Amino acid sequence: MANIRETDLPGIGRKFSVETEESEKISIIVHEDGKREIFHNPPDSPEEYELVVTLGDVEARQIASIIGGMSYRPSGLEQAELSLSQLSIEWYKLKRNMDCLGKTIGDLAIRENTGTVVIASIESSRKQKISPGPEYVLQEGYTLVVAGERSGIQILKQLLERGSG
Amino acid sequence: MDYIVFEIGIAVLLVALAGLLASKLKFSVVPFYILAGMAVGPHAPVFGILDFRFIQSAELIEFMGKIGVIFLLFYLGLEFSVGRLVKAGKSIAIGGTIYIGINFTLGLLFGFATGFGIKETLVIAGITTISSSAIVAKVLVDLKRTANPETEMILGIIMFEDVFLAVYLSVLSGLLLSGATSIGGILLSAALALGYMLLILVIGRKAVPLLNKLLNIPSNEIFMCTVFAALFLIAGFSETIHVAEAIGALLVGLVLAETSHMHRIEKIILPFRDFFGALFFFSFGLTIDPLSLGGNAVWLAIGAVILTMIGNYSAGMLAGKTAKLSPKSSSNVGLTIMSRGEFSIIVANLGAAGGLAAILQPFAAIYVLILAILGPLMTKESKWIHNGIARIFRLKK
Repeated sequence: MANIRETDLPGIGRKFSVETEESEKISIIVHEDGKREIFHNPPDSPEEYELVVTLGDVEARQIASIIGGMSYRPSGLEQAELSLSQLSIEWYKLKRNMDCLGKTIGDLAIRENTGTVVIASIESSRKQKISPGPEYVLQEGYTLVVAGERSGIQILKQLLERGSG
Repeated sequence: MDYIVFEIGIAVLLVALAGLLASKLKFSVVPFYILAGMAVGPHAPVFGILDFRFIQSAELIEFMGKIGVIFLLFYLGLEFSVGRLVKAGKSIAIGGTIYIGINFTLGLLFGFATGFGIKETLVIAGITTISSSAIVAKVLVDLKRTANPETEMILGIIMFEDVFLAVYLSVLSGLLLSGATSIGGILLSAALALGYMLLILVIGRKAVPLLNKLLNIPSNEIFMCTVFAALFLIAGFSETIHVAEAIGALLVGLVLAETSHMHRIEKIILPFRDFFGALFFFSFGLTIDPLSLGGNAVWLAIGAVILTMIGNYSAGMLAGKTAKLSPKSSSNVGLTIMSRGEFSIIVANLGAAGGLAAILQPFAAIYVLILAILGPLMTKESKWIHNGIARIFRLKK
């Protein structure tokens, strides 16, 4: 969890100092007039904070909802979902101990076995592969974007973990 | 003919133009308002009905400036809270004490060394000690320094100074306005002023639940009138017992800050503070004839400016050191707190109200003009200044 410190800046507003797990330091100033400023502290100069972005009140709320994952859940998370009536679209990250690694989509016969389709894959280097074909090899760290019915996606998850139908 | 509304119109237009020019040049507005007032003072030319001397409206403008002081101090009281100061912590108390100790002592020495009497010297020390909260906060926001580690210390010292200002103004107003001459009389009137302050604060604290109920007024109009009535009544009454109105206003602010209506009051007061505050600086400028500025006042002000720069810089370095800030951050503390503005002028006006030497006002005007312009500039260029000083004194990096 990030370490957050809150301080009063009388006459200006409130300051939130955040130190993330990756030792990055940012400060968020909430001005009394609603303006927000996000500062970043470069590791090489501890006393100099650089302004990253200034946001108006409405902008800040919009962006907060994006960061909070209210409109889109990041692919880095283990799984996320989006449902449009019967159809679900899910993100599914391939982890080290899964048995599907090294096999192709064709090997696993995903469509035939589960009724779901892999619509895209986000590879470790953030490279995207839209609509990967049957020859596409699954690797550790990839995030698969899968569309299908919920039941099919459940079967797919088992398939990916065990590596065979 | 009576052109009073027209004259006020011209005055406000001049203030607006001065403000526009200042924001175009990215300077603090304070010196520009004062300069505008000085430029059109009692010796300005008359062009037909465009009478820049503000003869008919002089009293009215002066009165609006007075209202400006009342609102400025009222807002200060509203914003201030003991909780905040306590939370700000020990480093602030030490830093603030160092800062005020150095600057006040230098101010006193300067006053005595230049041959003023004790009352004048006390006013001079007040003028040179207290920096401008408004300018400092604005400069920090403008220069995007709000997230820097030294900013908390700077704002803490400013807050500490505000407390000092409140106490100092009350002592000074007891001393200057009562007309007492003997030491016993002076002490008595200062004690009276302090006692009056404490009394209002204690009664105010007890009355918070009652005030909460009384101020529960849905209509903005009636709410505003009630608050203003309390403000002006207490500020005005204070004056009748020789306590500066500004102090009365501050006290009302402090009391109302404890109520649950604080934010509503703050919102309502803010535009009034800004408008009348601007007129306050302008009317202060009006009282100063630029042609009479030559000589003593200028040299005195320049001397005080140099002393303030040295005092602030060393105080900043020391205060920063006690808070374990880096030399660069400490140097930022000293250079940022350098700006002088509204409070110096309020103290100078108190001197004028007490009938002290007439030179105090032009002195304060030039002093504030220089430091209101130079302060923000030095804050902006703090990196170069610090490197330069570090090179001269061979400070450790």
